[in-house]
Amino acid sequence: MTADSPAPSTRRPDGPPSAIGALPSPADAADRAVLARVAAGELDALEELYDRYRTMAYSIALRMTSDAALAEDVVQEAFLGAWRNASRYVDGRGSVKTWLLAIVHHRAVDAIRRRRPTTELPEAEAPPPAALTLPDIWPDVSAGLDRETVLDALDALTDVQREAIELAYFGGLTHQEIAVRTDTPLGTVKSRIRLGLLAMRRVLVGEEWVSADGSAEPAGDGRPEGGR
Amino acid sequence: MTCDEIRDLAPAFALGALDADQDRAVREHLATCPEAHDEVAAFAGVVPVIAGTVKEVEPPAALRGRIIAAAAADLEERTRLTAPAGATPADPVTAAAPSGSAASAVTTTAAPLSLEATRAERTARPSMTALVLGLAAVFAIVVLGAWNLSLRSDLAASQAFQQHVDSVLTTAAEPGSTTVILTDQNDPTSAGLAVVGKDRAMSLVVRGFTPTTGSTVYEAWVIAPKRDPVPIGSFTVGSDGTGYMTGGQAPAVTGTMTIALTHEAGPGATTPTLPIVSSGTAG
Repeated sequence: MTADSPAPSTRRPDGPPSAIGALPSPADAADRAVLARVAAGELDALEELYDRYRTMAYSIALRMTSDAALAEDVVQEAFLGAWRNASRYVDGRGSVKTWLLAIVHHRAVDAIRRRRPTTELPEAEAPPPAALTLPDIWPDVSAGLDRETVLDALDALTDVQREAIELAYFGGLTHQEIAVRTDTPLGTVKSRIRLGLLAMRRVLVGEEWVSADGSAEPAGDGRPEGGR
Repeated sequence: MTCDEIRDLAPAFALGALDADQDRAVREHLATCPEAHDEVAAFAGVVPVIAGTVKEVEPPAALRGRIIAAAAADLEERTRLTAPAGATPADPVTAAAPSGSAASAVTTTAAPLSLEATRAERTARPSMTALVLGLAAVFAIVVLGAWNLSLRSDLAASQAFQQHVDSVLTTAAEPGSTTVILTDQNDPTSAGLAVVGKDRAMSLVVRGFTPTTGSTVYEAWVIAPKRDPVPIGSFTVGSDGTGYMTGGQAPAVTGTMTIALTHEAGPGATTPTLPIVSSGTAG
């Protein structure tokens, strides 16, 4: 996949306009200007970036690690990662906020998995997570949403879908580990994650996702659990 | 890994729920596959929203200083590693430095050969606006402190000072440490950085200070709210205006910690002699 991948192909050609604009928000434009200065090695720009997103970063890290000291380490590593890799941020591949959030999440998952010695750790300098390397079809998805819409999206999940997604996102568990933890077949866990994310997407953008061959993914409650 | 397998794993990949081997295999496939695999982006776009319901919690104030100190140390390291090995005739600073010395590793005006060199050049010219920010002290120590190396003839002293700057910045970047930037309202060219480690070991570096003479010293004090100043240790400042203190032990402080420096007639002062020469507050 490239930065020029035809993102519109993921949407119905005749579908309704997205509820979330694809154009960068003013806040994101300001973020990108700050990040450009970070990439140029300006420490005061890093301070500005930290002040904008310290609460978001620490809140996520604390929620994931449940350990204040470890959460501080995660936030520190994340902002140093942003400091060192700011020049690798690519315009049009998601907002700066989303990019930073992905770094924090990646670092927190790494920290959580280090506490579980049986889990194989990702490479120390592994490529950044999906949101860093893949085009974001709605760049300011998180910046442009109000809390009510976010809650609506999460309300679209069934209990078992929410459990699987939260164990993965906040708990740092792999889908195999979720299967063991919940005593559920791996195929069922995969389906719950897939259907849950699709259900959220329908609330957020009001569209079904259309695969490359033109067929729509089935609705969340229309697909049997199980599979591979 | 086949395209069908990628489609099967796309949701878990977007969520970061694959083990290391699978995650690596998916990335390798996406990097080379001619197919767009839009499904991955479709799922990845939803994931940030999951974070939207997390209860907001403010990080400790001291974290900010640690991150900036760590970034400053990183910047200094990059500057040192990427600077040219020898001075160029066009470089007025390094041209004056002894060839092959530590000073030659620092440059301020050499033509930028890389992004890092550009960064080094920019950071060697802190603006007056930056100087009034708290960050300026770290900046000044890292950059101007290093810059001073090229002007000083006592290389041993220069290198010792630089090692202490490195040591303080390293401690400042460690979890649980508290960083205090020391400034003098009346003299923006003087600056200092004090750090108290998790074990309360305290060290500091200063530059731009008036040199000590005879038996006079600078004394460092820790001041807690509603408590008397506690002397931590003393240090001297050489003719180049730099000084450092190591081996201090700070008391446990409840609430905001202030560190102040005073000029004393000799070591062992139990009460500070005013005025305060330089001071700063944690966070």
